[in-house]
Amino acid sequence: MKHLPKHLRPRWRYVAVGIETWPDAEVTRRSFQRRLWFAAQNLLGDPGSADADLTVLSVSFADGVGEALVRVRREHLEDARAAIACVHRISRQPVRVTVRGVSGTVRACEEKYLGRRTEVTDTSVVFENADRRAAARGALLDLRTDGSYTGATRYDIE
Amino acid sequence: MYETVHATPDGQSTVSRFAATAAAQGFDGVVVRNHQDARTEFDAAAIRDAFGIDVVRGVEIRTDDRSRASGYLGSFRSEYEVVMVRGGSRAINRFAVESDAVDVLADPMREDGDVNHVLARAAREHGVRLEFNLAPVLRATGGRRVRALQGLRKLRELVEQYEPPYVVSGDPRSHLALRAPRELVAVGEAVGFTEEQIRTGLTEWRRLAERNRERLSDEFIAPGVERGRYEEER
Repeated sequence: MKHLPKHLRPRWRYVAVGIETWPDAEVTRRSFQRRLWFAAQNLLGDPGSADADLTVLSVSFADGVGEALVRVRREHLEDARAAIACVHRISRQPVRVTVRGVSGTVRACEEKYLGRRTEVTDTSVVFENADRRAAARGALLDLRTDGSYTGATRYDIE
Repeated sequence: MYETVHATPDGQSTVSRFAATAAAQGFDGVVVRNHQDARTEFDAAAIRDAFGIDVVRGVEIRTDDRSRASGYLGSFRSEYEVVMVRGGSRAINRFAVESDAVDVLADPMREDGDVNHVLARAAREHGVRLEFNLAPVLRATGGRRVRALQGLRKLRELVEQYEPPYVVSGDPRSHLALRAPRELVAVGEAVGFTEEQIRTGLTEWRRLAERNRERLSDEFIAPGVERGRYEEER
């Protein structure tokens, strides 16, 4: 179909979303999009969800941390922010999502808010008098404890 | 703005991890609200220095028995900076709002809990803050969330009418459940709060902590009465 004249095209905002979860979890564009639609539908209802038109454009994710680029209609940015905040689980794993920033173009959004990565290393630490495997990111540690994880920092093991 | 957290062993992350994450999200402080049987030891000053965020030592009393609650209250009041009682039954809600020693009645609409005009007035009279707990809005779905939203709405209408003090929290049990202040505001607005209400509720924790620190300090005798420089030993 012929595309719309410029003044009739929707105005978009591009939202940079940081994603954090446990080291063994997996987040893909498809799974994030699915949970985001569910979250929006549950919080805003079908009409609100359709208005916000939340679309996940890209996800980059590895070792429990990642980021995503989400497109929303400009007029519904705050609704979108609320829906994004309600995503608490992806593929049965708890996730933390946080809005890093909002831009008017994909390029500005990528340049300003995306593309940061800190190295994740596998290490062994002593926590509460027991040896634990841990995924370390800077000062942050995700400790493997009996089938689940505990969030800690370097401060807890010194 | 402050957030309240359940740290290990009550939650899944340590106090320092909560502090690191909350600082990155733009909070000014965290209030540790572990259950009385799952309390945690930590060095608040060291964490404050390491992550640049205030850490408040708090405790959440959970029991359905008034006399036990009263016992806990007596022993924790002089030990913790913020003492909360978790609501959830009519008896315990009533007990909490009528006790001057209680700082916060947490999640009063939970389960069998309810608040009416009598309790809202009592809360104002005794300076007990009522908590708007956003946890089910953020992390529950379906019927449970609908009931929680009904509870929040009722509580909000009472707070607007009788103006008792109130606090707002996202009540995370792991650093992954933390949401930034701006996101809590957005969620609050989506369920009928105003931006100002959410911000006031998040800031109230700080005022509460500051007041109680002053009261716990050695110079404090009664509100408005402090040990001054003339009281020093010669």
